[in-house]
Amino acid sequence: MAVMLEAATLLQVLTWGAILGCIYVLLASGLNLIFGVLKLVNFAHGEFIMIGGYASYWVSTLLGLNPYVSILASMAVVGLLGVAVERLCFRRVLGTSKLNEILLSLGLIFVLQNAAAMMWTEYPRGAHSPFALMAVQLGIMRIGVDWLVAAAVTAVIMSGFYMLLRGTKIGRAMRATSQNRSAAMLMGVNVERIHMFTFGLGTALAAAAGTLLVITTSITPYAGSVPALKAFAIIILGGLGSTAGAVVGGLLYGIVEGSAVFIFGGTWRDAVGFIILILVLIVRPTGLFGEKAVT
Amino acid sequence: MRMDKGITKMATAVIIIVIVIVASAAAAYITFQPKPVTREIRIGLVASLTGVSADVGTDMKRASILAVDEINEKGGVYVKEYNAKLKIKLIEGDDRTNPQEGVTCVKKLILEDNVDVLVGGFSSAVTYASQVPAIENKVPFVITGASSSLVTRRTDKDTSYMFHYCTITDDYSTTIVKFFAETMKPKVAPNRNFKLAILYQDSPYGQGCYQSSVDYIKAKNLPMDIVASEKFKMGDMDFHTQLTKIAAAKPDAVYHAGFVADTAEAIKEGLVDIGLKTVYIAVECCEDPNYYGLMEKIGPVVDRQLLESKFGPFAGHYSNAVDAYKEVYTKRWGIAPGMMGADTYDAIYLVALAIENAGTLDKAKVRDAIEKIEMPQKLIMMQGGVVKFDKNHEIAPISFVEQIFYDSKTKKLVPYIIYPDSLKQKDFELPPDYKAGGS
Repeated sequence: MAVMLEAATLLQVLTWGAILGCIYVLLASGLNLIFGVLKLVNFAHGEFIMIGGYASYWVSTLLGLNPYVSILASMAVVGLLGVAVERLCFRRVLGTSKLNEILLSLGLIFVLQNAAAMMWTEYPRGAHSPFALMAVQLGIMRIGVDWLVAAAVTAVIMSGFYMLLRGTKIGRAMRATSQNRSAAMLMGVNVERIHMFTFGLGTALAAAAGTLLVITTSITPYAGSVPALKAFAIIILGGLGSTAGAVVGGLLYGIVEGSAVFIFGGTWRDAVGFIILILVLIVRPTGLFGEKAVT
Repeated sequence: MRMDKGITKMATAVIIIVIVIVASAAAAYITFQPKPVTREIRIGLVASLTGVSADVGTDMKRASILAVDEINEKGGVYVKEYNAKLKIKLIEGDDRTNPQEGVTCVKKLILEDNVDVLVGGFSSAVTYASQVPAIENKVPFVITGASSSLVTRRTDKDTSYMFHYCTITDDYSTTIVKFFAETMKPKVAPNRNFKLAILYQDSPYGQGCYQSSVDYIKAKNLPMDIVASEKFKMGDMDFHTQLTKIAAAKPDAVYHAGFVADTAEAIKEGLVDIGLKTVYIAVECCEDPNYYGLMEKIGPVVDRQLLESKFGPFAGHYSNAVDAYKEVYTKRWGIAPGMMGADTYDAIYLVALAIENAGTLDKAKVRDAIEKIEMPQKLIMMQGGVVKFDKNHEIAPISFVEQIFYDSKTKKLVPYIIYPDSLKQKDFELPPDYKAGGS
């Protein structure tokens, strides 16, 4: 009986991990896309998550909308912001030096965090969804409805993202640019426009993650810092530039994190993910799915 | 002719004497005039004005400004050395709820702003770091928000300049554990040990809450078992795994030792996502309007949860001083006051009185005056009605347990004091869908 209870608890923990992993998938996919196409490491990715969360919070609060509906507005707003940031900031340093890109993105972190703190204060904000107080019993497991919706929303967004990459002209152009920028240019791809679009799409995916965070937990101006680090760990775990790697890596990360908390305690939540990352880098430096162009 | 000469000599003598007298009087007047009042009393406030605890830090800042303005409106603090009342100048420092930033902020207050005294400090982990420059520079620091007893009992540094105007984790846990043993156990576990689970922040504060609970239960041989204890990192907002483990242990109650946002989140996750229908008790730093706001957003499911406190601005009348403070604070800032602000408000008055008693701004003498102080209680009730520090530089506050009832008409949470009996406003009631640990 005790063994069954323990197994039921472990299954619950693994399920929570996988569900949380869905949010990590969105986090990592956007960052992975930006790296895959622009070859740019954006340390400020977490701040776009945070802004996305706030955008959803304010849209749903001011207009009285279901916060899940506001996800589209949040993605649009942050996507446009991403386009502006790429155009006005990163384009100027792209290709000059990796150090310039890193310093720019680090500077953006402080600018965006402090701007958010000034505008919206430091108080945690949470968007209340109609499902907030609902939970379902699935066999021996009980799961909050918001978390199930978060997993479903992730699946829908990632499906749309996959179809965009595979089935549209712009998706092909993005893949071409990620494989060989010069060749893509020669083939008539407007690479600068693709960069802008990609950055916007990557930050829109971050905004979607931020929306799910603001619904399931809460958000502050500093809420993007730790998720950003996790996103980096995930894309390295999954393989830089690999979308499938970001998906698998995100889910795996969530499960490993939950398991670590279960076995070793809450203090190990963040540490164990990076321990796994180090092990993967030692054993398989290219990550689970290897370093490829965006596929 | 001889007479004329005589009169002239006499007149000259009189004139000289008058000049001497007038000059002496003028010199005496100038010498004994009070010193020109250009000196202010500089009190440095150490608070999280930004960062994860900015809600608490802002409350501390507001309360400090209120206290300083009240004192200054009455002319300031009489300091014998200056033979005058000196106004207080409050200088804010932001520790950003970060130990390194805390050190930087305190160093600036001491070395650049030349503060006479420090007040504040929230988060034991941050204060443990930020107090070091104050210790090294021998600046009196009245700590109002860090509840770990380590801040005045550390063995690696001389804490003689540190004073703890705050309930310590021992106090929280004693009140909480006593409540569970005396009030809740007879209702839910009359014939067995009470099962308590503790979910605590992995910091000196959280660890203090956990350890002091364990120690008190053992010391008093209480019929209580800690069936689960889980940690979380400061800033964490996901507790599903820990709560799943706690649920498996089937506790009668869960004691959450955290800050405002994580406490509300943990209670919501526990009640809704995990289905752990038990009683959760929060710690007094959650006696804050933001906590009530977050809990009200969660809705009726949080009805009848508990809060350990020592300042209950929402709990109805139990103190004239608290009622007056709440009115003034709300009028000034448009928001209800919180716990940490109340501690800091009292501390400003305490420092003002200590300076007056010391008669000087000399830090060593001010420190001595704080150590010997006896001040009538203000917002925080004290054993014996008087604020004084013991040999560990700690106070003896009275804390209580509130139960928070959800009003379905107003959709607001209303607390009532349920323990101890001397302050009780209402009887403790189990939440409607409560499940005891044995079931």
